[in-house]
Amino acid sequence: MDLRNRLLVALALAGGLLFLSPALYSIWMSFQTAESYYRGEFDFTLDNYARAIGQYNFARYLLNSLIVSGLVTTAGLAFAVMAAFAFARYRFAGGNLMFGATVATLMIPSHITLIPNYLNLARVGLLDTYAGLILPAVSNGFAAFFLRQYIRGIPRALDEAAYMDGATPLQVLWRVIVPVARPAILSMGLFIFIGEWNNYIWPLVAVGKQDLYTLQVGLARLYKINPGEGAIDWPLVMAASTLTILPVLLGFALIERHLVRGITMGAVK
Amino acid sequence: MGFIAVFTYIPIAVSLDLSFREWDFLSPTKPFVGFENYRILLSSYDFWNSLKVTAVFTLISVPLRLTLALAIASYLVRETLPSRLLRGALFLPSVTSTVVIAVVFSWVFATDYGLVNAGFGLLGLQKVMWMQDPQLALWVLILVNTWKQLGYDVIIYIAGLQAIPQELYDAAAVDGGRRRHVFRRVTVPLVMPTTYFLLVVSVIEAFQVFTVVDVMTRGGPAGATDMLVNMLYRIGFTLFDIGTGSALAVLLFVFLIALALIKARVIGRRVHYGS
Repeated sequence: MDLRNRLLVALALAGGLLFLSPALYSIWMSFQTAESYYRGEFDFTLDNYARAIGQYNFARYLLNSLIVSGLVTTAGLAFAVMAAFAFARYRFAGGNLMFGATVATLMIPSHITLIPNYLNLARVGLLDTYAGLILPAVSNGFAAFFLRQYIRGIPRALDEAAYMDGATPLQVLWRVIVPVARPAILSMGLFIFIGEWNNYIWPLVAVGKQDLYTLQVGLARLYKINPGEGAIDWPLVMAASTLTILPVLLGFALIERHLVRGITMGAVK
Repeated sequence: MGFIAVFTYIPIAVSLDLSFREWDFLSPTKPFVGFENYRILLSSYDFWNSLKVTAVFTLISVPLRLTLALAIASYLVRETLPSRLLRGALFLPSVTSTVVIAVVFSWVFATDYGLVNAGFGLLGLQKVMWMQDPQLALWVLILVNTWKQLGYDVIIYIAGLQAIPQELYDAAAVDGGRRRHVFRRVTVPLVMPTTYFLLVVSVIEAFQVFTVVDVMTRGGPAGATDMLVNMLYRIGFTLFDIGTGSALAVLLFVFLIALALIKARVIGRRVHYGS
């Protein structure tokens, strides 16, 4: 690299750091004691993390978020792949109508379903359960639509060869389609996971029991119902925040370009 | 398919039905009251205030985001290392938790021990009560939302800009077009479909803003940041007025569906042109 390029890289890094500085500074803040923060000094400590995880139950919230997002992603992908396969390869009675109904969910704002979904789950006794958190998020019209378009691009000759060898439709799906469509399935899974991990309004509504809070709800409560009188314990809150974004942050570092490609695929043709 | 019916289509019908009834979650009966809930809603101060707040939020944040994003995207459109680094930094907030962003910016704009007021202190300025001042709180939310969404807009604009044929720029260069001139006469018109797409998407998004409001201001001070979904949540889940809450949900639904249909037309047209 010549000097000019190095200068540009340094400038870009500085710009990026400036843009992210509030977030970066709050991660830094999470490693200091509250007393030293309010005095404007710096004492390194892991105490905020220990307190967030133990005293304020974030270990449990982390586990809940992993369970909920993990299951929503797994079940969501399984249903989406099967629906996509059916829509892409089969003509059946009502198929077009069903596909239309699936695609139309992309337009439906989630807030219209908030109250009725709450009432339904209350009626069958699923409020304050993992099932209540997970089930409404499992069907994903966008994933089904996206994967159908992808599967349609896979040559039918591949399916037919497998059928000749005596494979059942499920075997074709599992042995032929899924391996070929793997990049699309993985990036879709990533979207579902991040979306569910960051979901706030549904867990807020569907869960009252503290043991079932996800990280998002737990963090919002920790911030709003603040320990102590008056002054907020910012270093503690920032440690909890860092725990909340950690998995997405790690994922982002690994697959940023993948993610961006997936997003522009959806929006710009 | 069953899931979609149970958790999307049936609820829409249920919402519509509940919007004509009076109910508080608990009573055994749900008497039919016709359009009474809509009448109450449309004659309440809260509804018009909330609509106004949401409209102001949208009218300021959407043009701000799109203008900034296009300007930034036209600098970051080239595939160089600095460009990729900056794109990554800008994009990071849009995949990050909104709750975390709201909490971090609550600290940034906190009256005591906050980042901005600390800076003001260094400059010898007075502390400002950013989130307790009805004149300022909405601006803070607009800024936070812009910070979160900007990277997404930039990425979409970059994809749109990359689709503009290079020959057009070459031709403009041969004709001796100045940079600003080329930007106004070539870039802006040709990136119009992307602008239109982002316009609709971000208006839809602005009308559904909830998390930053709930975490940072809870609609206050004095209703200054009471966006529509925040009002829906308050009526439904803290006042337990299911009928009025459902009526509000139905109104929001009708409006957003209209926008979504516009969006579908935009996308449909562009896919058609592309192929």
